[in-house]
Amino acid sequence: MSTYALFLGCTTPTKVIQYELASRWVCKCFGIELIDIEDFVCCGINQVNLSVEAGLLMAAMNLALAEDKKLDILTLCAACTGALAEAVERLKDDATRDRINEKLRKVGLEYKGEVKVKHISRVLYEDIGIEKIKKEVKRDLSGFRAAPHYGCHYLKPKSAFEGFEEPDNPKTLHQLISACGAYPVEYETLNLCCGGKVFPVSEDIVHSLVQKKFDNLKNKKIDAMVLQCQTCYLMYSDRQNEVNKKYGKKYNFPVLLYPQLLGLALGADPVTDLGLNLHRVPVDKVLEKIA
Amino acid sequence: MNKAKNMFEFKKQISASELDTNFKSDVLTHPDTEGLNACFSCGTCSAGCPIHEVFPEYNPKKLAKMVRLGMRKNVLSSPHIWYCATCHNCEQRCPQNVKFFSILNVLKNMAAEEGYAPPSWVEQTRQVMKTGIVFATEEDWIKERERLSLPSLKGTREKVRKIIEQTGIDKIKPRVDPE
Repeated sequence: MSTYALFLGCTTPTKVIQYELASRWVCKCFGIELIDIEDFVCCGINQVNLSVEAGLLMAAMNLALAEDKKLDILTLCAACTGALAEAVERLKDDATRDRINEKLRKVGLEYKGEVKVKHISRVLYEDIGIEKIKKEVKRDLSGFRAAPHYGCHYLKPKSAFEGFEEPDNPKTLHQLISACGAYPVEYETLNLCCGGKVFPVSEDIVHSLVQKKFDNLKNKKIDAMVLQCQTCYLMYSDRQNEVNKKYGKKYNFPVLLYPQLLGLALGADPVTDLGLNLHRVPVDKVLEKIA
Repeated sequence: MNKAKNMFEFKKQISASELDTNFKSDVLTHPDTEGLNACFSCGTCSAGCPIHEVFPEYNPKKLAKMVRLGMRKNVLSSPHIWYCATCHNCEQRCPQNVKFFSILNVLKNMAAEEGYAPPSWVEQTRQVMKTGIVFATEEDWIKERERLSLPSLKGTREKVRKIIEQTGIDKIKPRVDPE
């Protein structure tokens, strides 16, 4: 059985609680123990805008807290994954680590360099494995057409993920979707960024990016988009109305987080276990399809 | 006649007296920026940039060139440097291993120090120092977490403030946009 410190980040536990709910449920199902660390803070990815050093310090603080409990970190957010994994890489350099630790010591923390950071999908892929997942499927999802969206920081910077994925040609989410018995739909804008990190400075840019992806998906007969990051989720789900208004469209794409799709396949209760009632874009069509 | 004349008119002349010849070397004092000297302006960064595609004014290749020319004020005061989506395509695909993402972060940090930071990012940092996350504490999600029997988010936030204050990030003021 594997044990991880659960890194929730900022957005999941406050605005996309269904992702947390489904992730906890799925992990429990596979015997992945999740430890909550109360002192975890934001991963620091946005602070990098104003101070690269401050961003690295925040990542290092979180790594130090997990290391103190002798735990590796399991993340839900793609951006937290990228930020923390990149920090692990940068802190392998002795001079950088010494400089950062000098500042961490002011609050009694120190990072020695012994933490691994893995996104929940990677944990499912590597620790549990596609075959084991397939064996546990209890609900028939055949014919369910899911459009995967990876999330940039799940893949990049590549140097932070030990060759886990090929950023321009990713495969793991496709395989994880197939493992549930659903069909991963191929589409041209697979790797198009959701724009989430630009949202605080330009909503217009986000809307153009989201519209581009929707325009590509409109004739693909998909039952849902399947994501692995709550920021991508907010852009494709919660911004869907705005995009429709702005571009005069009637897109109606249900958006699921991967642990929700997996939970459905494993026979979870859609509401109490997976929070499917908490979606801004209703997922009734999803539930009808699998009923 | 007018048409012919326009062909030879530059949009904006670059005046040598307005260039800061130290700009590039200032940027190069920061980690992961050395690629600036290897860039041959092929434009792979801009070609693969999702933002450039929908908003052409954001142009990584052009920014890299402007830094090398020493166009300090134009670069640091430009609102465009804040439009990066952090997707990493530029550096992932660069044939010269230029880490444009890291270079851009350095530019943003310098711009922030000079008073050009967007208010939204300054506000987020203030929030982080109060709550530990980028959002304010809100009654609705506290209640929702209770209803779903999820752990409350009550960490000690003093630590993060004390740690990042050492970088001076708390002193950064948001830019004031003209009315």
